[in-house]
Amino acid sequence: METILSVNGLSVNFDTSQGLFKAVDNISFSIEKGECLGIAGESGSGKTQTFFSITGILSDNGTATGIADFNDVDLLKLTEKELSNIRGKKIGFIFQDPMTSLTPHMNIGNQLIEVSMVHEKKTKNEALKKAKEVLDIVKLPRIENLLKKYPHELSGGMRQRVMIGISLMCDPLFIIADEPTTALDVTTQKEILKIFNDLKKFKDITIALISHDIGVISEVSDTILIMNEGHIIEKGNCQEVLISPKHEYTKHLLSCVPEWMK
Amino acid sequence: MIQLIIKRLAIAIPTLIIIIAFVFGLMRVAPGGPFTNERALPPEIEQKINEAYDLDKPLIHQFGIYLSKIAKGDLGPSYKYKDFTVNELILSGFPISLTLGVSAIIISLFLGSLLGIIAAIKRNTIFDYTVMGVSLIGICVPSFVLAPILSLFFGLYLGLLPISGWNGGNIYNLILPVVSLSLPQIAIISRMMRSSTIETLNSNFIRTARAKGMPKRRIITKHVIRSSILPIIDYLAPATAGLMTGSIIIEQIFGLPGIGRYFVVGALQRDYTLVSGVMILYASLLMLLILLSDILRGVLDPRVKIK
Repeated sequence: METILSVNGLSVNFDTSQGLFKAVDNISFSIEKGECLGIAGESGSGKTQTFFSITGILSDNGTATGIADFNDVDLLKLTEKELSNIRGKKIGFIFQDPMTSLTPHMNIGNQLIEVSMVHEKKTKNEALKKAKEVLDIVKLPRIENLLKKYPHELSGGMRQRVMIGISLMCDPLFIIADEPTTALDVTTQKEILKIFNDLKKFKDITIALISHDIGVISEVSDTILIMNEGHIIEKGNCQEVLISPKHEYTKHLLSCVPEWMK
Repeated sequence: MIQLIIKRLAIAIPTLIIIIAFVFGLMRVAPGGPFTNERALPPEIEQKINEAYDLDKPLIHQFGIYLSKIAKGDLGPSYKYKDFTVNELILSGFPISLTLGVSAIIISLFLGSLLGIIAAIKRNTIFDYTVMGVSLIGICVPSFVLAPILSLFFGLYLGLLPISGWNGGNIYNLILPVVSLSLPQIAIISRMMRSSTIETLNSNFIRTARAKGMPKRRIITKHVIRSSILPIIDYLAPATAGLMTGSIIIEQIFGLPGIGRYFVVGALQRDYTLVSGVMILYASLLMLLILLSDILRGVLDPRVKIK
């Protein structure tokens, strides 16, 4: 297996009015190509900041140190410009809140095609062709019509599909999904998770699925990483960790999952 | 959109009638009349004048006559500028006030927004602090203080610019009045634009744009500005009102023959028709600007449906 992302000694600090806050404390992990890694943990455990920091979309008061080799390039050493050439092209993102994560005054078509037009210098028509392809992958109906719509005209589930579509525009190697189903109802959640499973199966995309919901993670992930207060508590094969957790915190976390889901 | 325009016009007419009634009433309540002088006129002459101007009739009758004249587009004769009608006075002054106002509003919108955006992007830098500091002064110092200082400095000390007069609309004569009129607006607009741009920059969809790897310039031009300009569009009408009241003073200071002067002189001398005429013009302009800003908002923000 080929390692796609290897993180070594990553720390993330935030400069707050109450002093320096350590969100992620010296963690190391790696993701193999084609793997789906689930990152579980409660709010504030640093799971999101880990991935925001290595891709350079931390908020302004945050700094990251350590090594994050992605395809043998240390992301933390790249300039903002070099990083923005990787984001959207090789690394796709899906965010938690589909209601606010799309630009309200830009139609869906333009939000999709600008990714290919900027990164791959495609013409508008080529980009539109690709946009229709990805919208088909995420199973959105009436695509022609949809391209001209604005985000507020779509439901939450549809917006999240568009968001996934955006992340697929340049056929990325790696997708970071930050709580992709948290804001959605259970039915939609299922459908979105099915898309993730398809992406894994047919496109061989590596996925980092960040969620506080163990149920969501267990449906898609091969491996799991449990985080708490900026540390990695436990990592391993998803099924093994969930069936026989070694660490107290993991047991504690699992005890929060309703009985019937197990 | 046509529906909106028709609806607004339908509302505009009763609004204007209320404004006219209000001005009509206020002017009559004020002591004295247009023909009150230090030396009282002989009663027969006063009687004749009052008859000529319909001032001898009951108030409600006078109001009716006035309204029916306005409906025909006639704002009546001026009581003080005896050889002129109000229409003629406004027509002579309006182009000047309009040039002044339009240049001021375009400059304030453009410079204010630009400075605000740059300050927001470079927030907590020297540029940001300078713009915000200067704009605080701009908000605090009224234009009637600013104007004399500017004309003293640039007009008298440096001798660069003329300090008064219209001179047929010469660009050099326009600079000082337009600058003193627009500086307070630039200050307000730049502060508004800065805070709304910062808010937009912190929103989720900008994070998405960054995650898509869009270059900085593209994020600002395509994703940020159209959202952060919305409060400025809403401010368009209040800004116009501010410029109108500002221009009354600025025209006095720089000796410009605009309509602001007629408004002041008219009010002081109880020139009923003149004051009322200028008020109608100001009110119509303001309503037009509100309509314009509503249309613009609908164009810029797809979430707003124009009805």
